[in-house]
Amino acid sequence: MREDKREGMDLETVRELGRQLRVDAVRAADAAGSGHPTSSMSAADLMAVLLARHLHYDFNAPSNPCNDQLIFSKGHASPLLYAMFVAADALSDEELLGFRRLGGKLEGHPTPRLPWVKVATGSLGQGLPYGVGMALAAKRLDRVPTRVWVLCGDSEMAEGAMWEAAEHASHEGLDNLTAVIDVNRLGQRGPTRHGWDTGAYARRLAAFGWHTVEIDGHDVDAIDAAYREAARTAGRPTAVIARTKKGSGVAAVEDREGHHGKPLPDAEEAVAELGGRGHIRVEPRHPRCERCARPLDHAPVERPASTWATRSPPATPSGRR
Amino acid sequence: MGDQIATRDAFGQALSALGTAHGDVVALDGEVSDSTRSEFFAKEHPDRFFECYIAEQQMVAAAVGMQARGWVPFASTFAAFLTRAYDFVRMAAVGRANVNLVGSHAGVAIGPDGPSQMGLEDLAAFRAVHGSTVLYPCDANQTAWLVEAMADAAADSRGVRYLRTTRGATPVIYGPDERFPIGGSRVLRSSAADRVTIVAAGVTVHEALAAADRLAADGIAARVIDLYSVKPVDAAALREAAERTGCLITVEDHWPEGGLGDAVAEAFAGGGPVPRLVRLAVRNMPASATPEEQLRVAGIDADAIAAAARDLAA
Repeated sequence: MREDKREGMDLETVRELGRQLRVDAVRAADAAGSGHPTSSMSAADLMAVLLARHLHYDFNAPSNPCNDQLIFSKGHASPLLYAMFVAADALSDEELLGFRRLGGKLEGHPTPRLPWVKVATGSLGQGLPYGVGMALAAKRLDRVPTRVWVLCGDSEMAEGAMWEAAEHASHEGLDNLTAVIDVNRLGQRGPTRHGWDTGAYARRLAAFGWHTVEIDGHDVDAIDAAYREAARTAGRPTAVIARTKKGSGVAAVEDREGHHGKPLPDAEEAVAELGGRGHIRVEPRHPRCERCARPLDHAPVERPASTWATRSPPATPSGRR
Repeated sequence: MGDQIATRDAFGQALSALGTAHGDVVALDGEVSDSTRSEFFAKEHPDRFFECYIAEQQMVAAAVGMQARGWVPFASTFAAFLTRAYDFVRMAAVGRANVNLVGSHAGVAIGPDGPSQMGLEDLAAFRAVHGSTVLYPCDANQTAWLVEAMADAAADSRGVRYLRTTRGATPVIYGPDERFPIGGSRVLRSSAADRVTIVAAGVTVHEALAAADRLAADGIAARVIDLYSVKPVDAAALREAAERTGCLITVEDHWPEGGLGDAVAEAFAGGGPVPRLVRLAVRNMPASATPEEQLRVAGIDADAIAAAARDLAA
């Protein structure tokens, strides 16, 4: 498969990676005794395809401005994010199992204490708005071919700020922004407003000026095709609206109410049902442009350190200084 | 000195100059740049200005997204409307974000537009943010200094910084070469005979100075402190004033909860001696009136300050 070689891992292995991400999310939450494994499992295939074939990222240089940016707007799916970091060899399995522990690296919701996380999420409805700011900066300020990928929950589409972001993104023509909406139908308490009606999200986003793709979020071929479609869509942002099952892959919790925000009832059995622990390691695709040596933090490109070492003449309205 | 210049004008000009000096400074505004005066920046640096329209949450979020890529954002709108983005500000602190926010049209001093446009809880809101800096200048030169101090701080540290500006023109009382470090304050009137200390910031500094002049005419010496850095607060200057004068009056164009008065009270919550404290603040819901009438009705003008001082010094 020539195209697969160009685009990274073959899709059969990606499917296995999706299972591995579920397993590690289940294990992390089980070790912590809390967390959101079922919200992680619904998006595992979506993120496996992204990490293995579409995310351009150098985990050894997280401040490279040409890296793609991945934001978990549904920050409670942190076990999935951390499982991705393990798959990328950025975190160890021991660190994964220290999830939510005092002094551990892995907080309940993602924060920039981890170098691969640039904005804190966990308050729903914020990741997409942040992603708009990052995509805007990449396009208009840095002028680099970075893509910003935002994993959104379906429940958080009820937040008004998501629609402020949707407006802003299309108005600015942010074709470097992709929202991946994990429509797993279930919120914290029960069904979401629109359930599995992916068309309800697609119609609204299209009306806001977005390109939309509706897919089965567990079909890796469809996911792969949708991300490729997003990358070649010019002039507007793309939303990949994916119908998924919360808790997918484990019958005891799959698409069932009452399993939000808690470890699986029998993690050992769940891991066995998912095929056991995986050991796939992913090297994501390289940043599209490596000309930039400028790190993202603390030393922006157009600001030589010397201009800040000495105070420049302050400005006053009357120009007296 | 002696000119009348609105601090929002000084902000706009200082930001524009900052943008000229530093290519990584960017500005965002919620479709009120002609009011906040960030339009001065927009005219000089159109490539680094971002119109966010009336979407304050998205404006603050975009600023957070931009700082995540190393830029130094200043996002401005009316102080009142920044409260709409408060959850984004809270999460900016959780994310150790490096953002500068500017709220104009603070307090009852805006006058006739009425309470829907008045920022009266902004000091409390921003003071409550972990690791935040809250600045409230009273004159143009002080504003220019503080805008630059915010950018300097952004180069050295991370955090949410808030600057509160005033709609109306206020007298320029500081010279162009004076310095206003974050965490500092200015003693504007003092003598060995001081019997009371008036602590003010922003628009009330000018009322405090007028009150001190009237009190002096009555033979009551009053110390006046310009507490432009509301957080971090200059506790040392406040404690010294308390030791010398025994009593403090705080006066602020803000609700009584969480603002300047509380910032001063906290300086005495360390277990040491506590001075007599009187707080003047906006206590009733304002309506439309001129700025001068608003200050009088709220009881935060020179007359109210002088009356409170006479009671305390009696």
